[in-house]
Amino acid sequence: MSTRELIRAFIVEAFFVDEFGDHESFLRTGIVDSMGMAQLVAFLEETFRISVADGELLPENLDSLERVTAFVERKVSRSAA
Amino acid sequence: MCGIAGFTFPRGLQAEARRARFGEPLRRMTQALGHRGPDGRRGVLLDGVGLGHSRLAIVDVEGGRQPMRDGATGVTLVLNGEIFNHVELRERLERAYRFRTRSDTEVLLAAWIARGAACIDDLNGQFAFAVWDPRSRALWLARDRVGIAPLFYAETEHGLAFASEAKALFAGGCVRPALDLGGLKETFQLWAPVAPHTCFEGVRQLLPRSVACFRDGRLEVRRYWDLDLDQATSADRLDEERGEGELAERLEQAVRLRLRADVPVAAYLSGGLDSSLVCAIANRLLRGTLSTYSVAFADARYDERIHQESMASHLGTRHHVLEMRDEGTGALLPDAVAHAEQALLRSAPAPFFALSALVQERGVKVVLTGEGADEAFLGYDLFKETKVRQFWARSPAAKWRAAPLRRLYPSLPALGEGSAALLQQFYGMGLDRPERADFSHLIRWSTSGRVLRFCSAEFAARTASVDPVARLLASIPPRVHGWRPLARAQYLEMETLLSGYLLSAQGDRMQLAHAVEARFPFLDHHVLEFAARLPDRLKLRGLREKDILRRCAERWLPRALVARAKFPYRAPVAGVLAGPAAPEWTREAFSPEALRQVGVFDADKVRRLRAKLAALPASASESDAMALMAVASTQLLAQAFLGQRLARPRWEGGPGEEFVLEPEAGAA
Repeated sequence: MSTRELIRAFIVEAFFVDEFGDHESFLRTGIVDSMGMAQLVAFLEETFRISVADGELLPENLDSLERVTAFVERKVSRSAA
Repeated sequence: MCGIAGFTFPRGLQAEARRARFGEPLRRMTQALGHRGPDGRRGVLLDGVGLGHSRLAIVDVEGGRQPMRDGATGVTLVLNGEIFNHVELRERLERAYRFRTRSDTEVLLAAWIARGAACIDDLNGQFAFAVWDPRSRALWLARDRVGIAPLFYAETEHGLAFASEAKALFAGGCVRPALDLGGLKETFQLWAPVAPHTCFEGVRQLLPRSVACFRDGRLEVRRYWDLDLDQATSADRLDEERGEGELAERLEQAVRLRLRADVPVAAYLSGGLDSSLVCAIANRLLRGTLSTYSVAFADARYDERIHQESMASHLGTRHHVLEMRDEGTGALLPDAVAHAEQALLRSAPAPFFALSALVQERGVKVVLTGEGADEAFLGYDLFKETKVRQFWARSPAAKWRAAPLRRLYPSLPALGEGSAALLQQFYGMGLDRPERADFSHLIRWSTSGRVLRFCSAEFAARTASVDPVARLLASIPPRVHGWRPLARAQYLEMETLLSGYLLSAQGDRMQLAHAVEARFPFLDHHVLEFAARLPDRLKLRGLREKDILRRCAERWLPRALVARAKFPYRAPVAGVLAGPAAPEWTREAFSPEALRQVGVFDADKVRRLRAKLAALPASASESDAMALMAVASTQLLAQAFLGQRLARPRWEGGPGEEFVLEPEAGAA
């Protein structure tokens, strides 16, 4: 499974949503609430073996499937480099 | 309060035929409301209408029998509730009408004879009543201004049937019980169905502050009162000191009126400001003889016992505490749901169900409560949230600050300091449309709306055309859309949560399950109208809620007790239904077969949800907990009304007097 697919599967499983767009804001549409964000970050850290700093907890990094995927891929490639 | 029921049928039948055809349905309906009134179950069959009454005797225990009929005009009525200003009204009516009893019911009868439906404007009370008026050949139904007393109705083959609870309509054979999917969807998203909808097909509720006239097969509903929440402008410079003084007077008068009864009046004490203030005023008026009742929780996260006890000992009341454990709450849910007659997102009604049992056991029929202050004086966090979000929406260029939100929701995310931006993103929902009428409630309804994710595909398809928020907004008077945001927020809060949930599922139905009447000084319309005239800054000063009420409270209570912030009343959920203490009934209710049979929720998602909550009950998100509660209550609702339980003797009266069909039935 690709990074995107893994994250999508997690969101479907953890938040019981069936369908959502890659670019849809999690928070503005209520797909994930602010509590859920903590769950999402914990999942990312564990699954992709990355560490998310406080300063990275930003809508730009986390607030859509597109953004999370890009964020994780950046982090993974940086730690691999 | 009592229970009322009745129905219309074809005119011109002989008394014998009426009795043969309609006596038994009327008996069954009246008996089905037996829990609301053990002190007399009576009915009358007139020419074209049957009226039944289950009585909880509070005022004029001897003379207040119902149905009550005026021999001269034939006007006959059944009343559930209280007309608190009956003493004053009686003085005005005495010249034209000769009273036979001391009861408030007869005052209503005399007022109706004198002025017809226009008399409602003079009533200060909590009531639902039905009047058969041969002069207009109409059956009239009316409900109090905020919706304290319930009233349901249904169209039948013979016209119209009505009752204080839907179960009486089922018991009388007026409606075949079936879940109303649209009403359920509204409940899942908005906490309560949008009146006149209910969770049952074919069952409607009369809108609060309305009077309805049923004549020649047609029902006309008219609202007789409205609360203008947007009248306080900066031009309205109410002197603060004078405002405080007038509020104190109105509150004291509201409490004084609600102490009127021929039986002892006690009070609920939650430990927060509102009920403490009511208790303090009542205790002073009763010269220190008040008894108080509280719910405490074994689970310390929800427990307010310390505050309740310090308040009770300060006032010197005779204090009673009922301690709820998770197992207890869980075990009571089936009964609580059967009485509530709607799906629930919280387990909070169950402890009130238990508390009213204790009150009944102690021989008390009337309690005062603090309900309504949060709506009238901007006590809820939702109002602060609206204020913060409104500020953000007005100042998009300014750097948003999450600090006020953090103060509001200190327990929110376990994300650390850096999460401010995420919080703002979430609470920024709908900022681009601050003029929308639902701006204040977007966040709440987004949270509760997540319940819909657990519904079955079939339910989703069958309710695809139902948009609960749109339905609610369409039901709002147009002028409300033009109000300022806090006033709109208040309006929505009173419309949905207060009358649709707090006063019904968590109020009337839980108290009257054990024949206890709750009275609400803050919902006196003179208090509500006064609060509406106050500028917002006197209610929500900065982010300090109920400001004027706090200052006013210092006339009765020490400052230290007043200063304590509100601890919102909550009862445990996830632990109750998913943990090791889950009650036996959940096994059946959550079984895939039962879920499929009821058809509202998806069995697989419910299984995953339960597993998630059982694994992490402590960190359960609010929406997950709500969803499980919605599933449980929907299953219990179906079990209680669509299954076999209705046939059991539970709605066949319970202890109390036998049903009597009035002998003068043939007279009118």
